[in-house]
Amino acid sequence: MISDRVKSSLKREFYQSRAAQVGVVLIAIILFTAVFAPMLTPHDPTTQRVGTGNGSALTDLPPLSPIPGHEFVGTRDQTMVNQTTGEFVNVQQEVPANASHPLGTNERGQDILSRIIYGARVSMLVGLLGTALATLLGVPYGLVAGYFGGRLDDTLMRAADVMLAFPSLVLAIALIGVFRDTSFHTAELPDPFVAAAQGDLVPNILIPRAEHVASMPETTTFPVTVTLVVALVNWVWFARITRGEALSIRAEEYVTAARSLGASDVTILRQHILPNAITPIIVLATIQVAFIILLEASLSFLGFSGTNLTWGADIQQGRDGLSSGKWWVSTMPGLAIIAAVVGVNLLGDWLRDALDPGIQGESGGI
Amino acid sequence: MQYGRFLLRRVFHSLFVIWGAATVVFLLRFITPGDPVTALAPPDAGDEVRAALERRLGLDDPIHVQYFEYITDLMVGDFGNSMEVLDRSVLDWIFWTRFLRSLELAISATILAIVIAIPLGVVSARRRHTPADYSATLFSLGGISTPNFWLGLMLILLIAVPVGFIPTGTPGPLLHEAVGDLFAGDPGTLGDWLRFMFLPALTLGTYFTALITRLTRSGMLEEIGKAYVKACRAKGLPETLTMYRHVLRNTLIPIVTILGLQLGTLIGGAIITETVFEWNGLGQLLIERINARDWTMIQGIVIIIAIGFVTINTVVDLLYAYLDPRVMEE
Repeated sequence: MISDRVKSSLKREFYQSRAAQVGVVLIAIILFTAVFAPMLTPHDPTTQRVGTGNGSALTDLPPLSPIPGHEFVGTRDQTMVNQTTGEFVNVQQEVPANASHPLGTNERGQDILSRIIYGARVSMLVGLLGTALATLLGVPYGLVAGYFGGRLDDTLMRAADVMLAFPSLVLAIALIGVFRDTSFHTAELPDPFVAAAQGDLVPNILIPRAEHVASMPETTTFPVTVTLVVALVNWVWFARITRGEALSIRAEEYVTAARSLGASDVTILRQHILPNAITPIIVLATIQVAFIILLEASLSFLGFSGTNLTWGADIQQGRDGLSSGKWWVSTMPGLAIIAAVVGVNLLGDWLRDALDPGIQGESGGI
Repeated sequence: MQYGRFLLRRVFHSLFVIWGAATVVFLLRFITPGDPVTALAPPDAGDEVRAALERRLGLDDPIHVQYFEYITDLMVGDFGNSMEVLDRSVLDWIFWTRFLRSLELAISATILAIVIAIPLGVVSARRRHTPADYSATLFSLGGISTPNFWLGLMLILLIAVPVGFIPTGTPGPLLHEAVGDLFAGDPGTLGDWLRFMFLPALTLGTYFTALITRLTRSGMLEEIGKAYVKACRAKGLPETLTMYRHVLRNTLIPIVTILGLQLGTLIGGAIITETVFEWNGLGQLLIERINARDWTMIQGIVIIIAIGFVTINTVVDLLYAYLDPRVMEE
């Protein structure tokens, strides 16, 4: 479906544009992190390390400082017994950074770096699957509307317009209100690496850090509802853009030629209309991945996602600590979101510049 | 096409869309698992109590009767009563302060965004490939990539907490109160309003600022290449005049349309911003009512937001068609 001309244009733009290279590298890193999370995490992201005795607790650790000589120091409330009176008193203890938790820990003692690494999984899964689902819903819808035109087109696009009456987050929240009491709100996806490391399927030599991997969570909680909802909220954009393309392509001579040769509607749609409409769809899909990652983060920040091992939920969790100086719990996952969305946006700019001859060589615009 | 005919068609279309939206919202409740009566009735309620409650909520009728009543009630502006606090009408709960608060926030954010973004975009396009352009581009990339709830928290952390006089919780006065006090000779309330509004408007406006900067820059660059710009320069028109009077004006037309479509993002962003700053507007109410599973309230809020959204989009379209009659042909 992708012609040589398009490929060479993509290549040329990629070599010329530093932004495109940064985007590809960012996305590659994040995807790699998401896939190989069990091998990369320093700790189990769910383990709570709320110790009881002195020094055993690993809660509220600050991150390591990137500047040598300047260390971050956190504080922790510790309940102590006054030896003479026997009363309990709250003492504020200073907590130094700990090298085994480079980004610090939250109030439950969970390692923030590990949580960010695992959070990439949910973010990427929802972003990619949500976009794929929205494409699968919207593209055929738009193709049919644009190709057949007339009254069918009117009806279909009117119905689609109704979806646009709702701001996406509002519709998403309302839909989650509907679906969150169902049994499919979340699904536990088994982690193939952990399963392999625990069982004897693959020789453990083949798995890096096999012992460490075996001790990682066996499943990842995948927010099914959120994925469905983001697709339901965003498919209309695909329908609209595909319809517009189909509407103009169906008037092309090669379509008339195919029809006069006796090609069926399905054949024309699949072999002529879709391949020629694909570039704007790809560009839109990239922008949508970025948008859906942000939407997922917002929904999990609001507590609607059903899993708390996501970037958005972690930001929400660190909110209370902001006023007491624990800035890192909310800050770190936010930086991860920005990295992911910037990466996808740069990728989108690159594709648009390379594929859309109208504004070649210009980054900017939408 | 005549403008009058276009206007009629556009208004009719938006009424249709609002009707469709109301239908979708009505159906949402029917596909929701769980029965509101069970949720509301005391656990030891007998069948009679349950039946009475069902009647009270109007749930004992068949679905088409309920739908008909729902739509006719909506047409006369009756949104029903809350399902949790049965005596409280939906409209009474939403209006006016909640609605005004959200509206004030959205408008302030938009104004802030336009004031910052357009000069930034123009400068960026005129001084292409200079440090100013690169910083503006970087800023706009960051702006469209930052989740605004996180931005809000960071602004609280970096500005509100150290500065001290910028409040972060509990909403301040409403604008009409502030203006009223100003005329009564007390400018303090207006100062309060500004103090309370600053961070939320900045949080909500950043995405829009970034977006408008990006659009202005690329739109200007596209326009600058056109022949009329060369003509303006050739006849000796000052560069600033060329840019602002001619190029920017032509750039703004498509921007307005895109902004109309992006308004949904603004409203969605307002919900999140309200949660972060405990703003007590429509968005925060929506979240609260979703968690209470109060469906009539949820329906009311969603429909009001949809009506507002559709209305603004229609107005934008009508303005656009008035300014550029070519779009009526599409």
